[in-house]
Amino acid sequence: MKNFLIYAAKILVFTILIAIVLDVIYTCVFLQSANRGKIETVFNSKAQKLDVVILGSSRANNHFVGQMFEDKGLKTFNYGMSGGHLFEASLLLKLMIERKYEIKNVILEADLNLSNDQEAEGISAKFLPYIHNSKVIKDHFASKDNFHQLYYIPFYRYIKYDGKIGFRESYKIVKQEKTNALDNLGYYPLVKHKNGNMKNNIANLKPLPHNKYYEEIKKICKDNHINFIAIMTPMCENVVGMNYFGKVKKVYPEIYNYENVVVENKYFSSCGHMTDTGARMFTGRIIKDFFKR
Amino acid sequence: MFFNSIAFAIFLPIVFFLYWFVFNKTKSTQNALLIVASYYFYSCWDWRFLFLLVFSTFLDYYTGIQIEKGKSEKSRKFWFWLSILVNLGFLGVFKYYNFFAASFSDLLNSAGFKASPILLNVILPVGISFYTFHGLSYVIDIYYKRIKAEYNFVDYSLFVSYFPLLVAGPIERATHLLPEIKVKREFDLEKAKEGIYQIVWGLVKKVIIADTCATYANAIFDNYSSMNSFSLILGAIYFAFQIYGDFSGYSDIALGVSKLFGLDLLRNFNYPYFSRDIAEFWRRWHISLSSWFRDYLYIPLGGSKGGTWMKIRNTFIIFVVSGFWHGANWTYLAWGFINAVYFLPLLLSNSNRNNMDAIELKFNFDSAKVLMSIFYTFFLTCIAWVFFRARTISDAVLYLKRVITNRDFSFQYLNNERYSYELLLMIGIFVLIEWNNRNKIEPLSGKRSMLKLSLAILAIMAFGTYSDYKEFIYFQF
Repeated sequence: MKNFLIYAAKILVFTILIAIVLDVIYTCVFLQSANRGKIETVFNSKAQKLDVVILGSSRANNHFVGQMFEDKGLKTFNYGMSGGHLFEASLLLKLMIERKYEIKNVILEADLNLSNDQEAEGISAKFLPYIHNSKVIKDHFASKDNFHQLYYIPFYRYIKYDGKIGFRESYKIVKQEKTNALDNLGYYPLVKHKNGNMKNNIANLKPLPHNKYYEEIKKICKDNHINFIAIMTPMCENVVGMNYFGKVKKVYPEIYNYENVVVENKYFSSCGHMTDTGARMFTGRIIKDFFKR
Repeated sequence: MFFNSIAFAIFLPIVFFLYWFVFNKTKSTQNALLIVASYYFYSCWDWRFLFLLVFSTFLDYYTGIQIEKGKSEKSRKFWFWLSILVNLGFLGVFKYYNFFAASFSDLLNSAGFKASPILLNVILPVGISFYTFHGLSYVIDIYYKRIKAEYNFVDYSLFVSYFPLLVAGPIERATHLLPEIKVKREFDLEKAKEGIYQIVWGLVKKVIIADTCATYANAIFDNYSSMNSFSLILGAIYFAFQIYGDFSGYSDIALGVSKLFGLDLLRNFNYPYFSRDIAEFWRRWHISLSSWFRDYLYIPLGGSKGGTWMKIRNTFIIFVVSGFWHGANWTYLAWGFINAVYFLPLLLSNSNRNNMDAIELKFNFDSAKVLMSIFYTFFLTCIAWVFFRARTISDAVLYLKRVITNRDFSFQYLNNERYSYELLLMIGIFVLIEWNNRNKIEPLSGKRSMLKLSLAILAIMAFGTYSDYKEFIYFQF
């Protein structure tokens, strides 16, 4: 039995060593990542000046045409992330500040995402390779239930989120395989789908009275003298529970309601996402209203 | 509590420590601990079904004794049939009632009568097919006087509910496991090491092969109508490796865990995809179930004795029942039926026992023939797996039809954000490793075992699929 216990202890030690070595290798790989996604690019970037930074979910990613801002002389990047929540938007802004970005305006898509202050695991996982390299990231995750496992158990975060930051992603970074996340200044144009879902039921959604991460973004902007513009973006015609936007306006009067700027279904790829044509109409209106250009 | 969960990684060392350091005085204390651990393990799924397990155990224990004590044949028969009917009754109610009710209703509706079936809103108790078959084999063996009844309730309970085999087998025989349970186990270092190798290799099969293949197979099967021929072929191959990695991986872990407690379980898989014909495949795949049906159904029906029609009838009965054992769905019946069609020519031409020897390859024509027969057998099993995996028989037929009619063999991008061919290299490496170690129980033992073990652990961590977690498929049976 003694021999077996020694044998089992050896396996345990080997396992821990392998986990540490893999953790170091994967983290080194992610520290080299620059052209895979928005999070990695911001993390591995240096100070830069931007007139407009766009944050939010896919409803930011697919709705704000970065090039139209640039055409008006505004240096812009769309950091909206499909599937992302305000948890990730806030952290991304914190990272930019940590890297000494000089930002004049932040446009935040704040509408459906105000109904929760949870992380979007698929997106937040992309920050985790850097958890030991950034105090901002560490502090942002500190309140999460599984923080101690993520922070202290070597390689645990790569195993838990293997679909996002596991072997395949590391391999693609090593191969320097590009994604389209950074094309078009971060804007991802959509086309009209024949079978796109043109119905949506948001009757059960309620905006949180004090969304932690919305307030956080507002405060970061205030502390860093950034002009903060929060915007509700358009939805298609057939939405049940459209009074949600009214509820948001009541709780957060500073958020501009642009939900009705584009309505017709022909401008939508799916109910919550406009086509490129719709996005251009919408962006034109935003530039005109907020930047007078 | 799954074998590949954190909970089990905590549970196992605790039970191991208590077993060898606290409850190691007698076999009774060892068995008592294992029963408590097993009941706890089972209750982690749904504690309410624990009563069913205990009732089933008690029923077979009691009827077994009554059969042995029975003075008249009438009395023996009564207890025998009571056990059989109650056991099969439970299985019928929980597993098959809704299927039969819905099918009967469909039949009436198609005949012009209006019928709406009364369906039961019950979930299937995990492992019911496995522990029911433990009990059945025990009672049948006593009735036919192959074994003596077990009078020690603790020992018998452990035979039925021993946690490594409780939820997905292997299906043990009283003749094999009970004698092991009845003696005090002494710690055996080599056996425990073998157990570790089997557990780790089982995890390789489950988290690297099965769960990764599952993401590809699901992406292809769930969207088969938009897939091209190449993707559909790969989908069938991926599912073949998914189900093999999943079930044989589970069995390996079960056997390995059991070895840590000094108990050997029946081997359930013997590299089935290296079979040279379907008969050999069934001697290597889910061995404990195949041999159960052979001993308790096929042979009592007359086996391969008797006339040609008798052989054909018995072959179809055993394969269709075997398919139906897997679940209440016409697809499983079709899967069993197809395997019977594959097997029948071998039986009728007396060539079903041709490939009993070990596979040896050399650089000659005979070896090329052997390789061809292995590929051909794998091809046949893949076709049958399409029926096993598809939601309906018509889905399976359309899937296979599209393989032939589409004729597009380009690489496709799947909705799991991966290319359809991406997994092939990993499967190729896995097959090579298993091929080179096909004469051993698992590939990790032998020379440089510590290095191989470390590489396997590294592979599990680096290449496993975790975030898209899949339950063990056979838990649903």
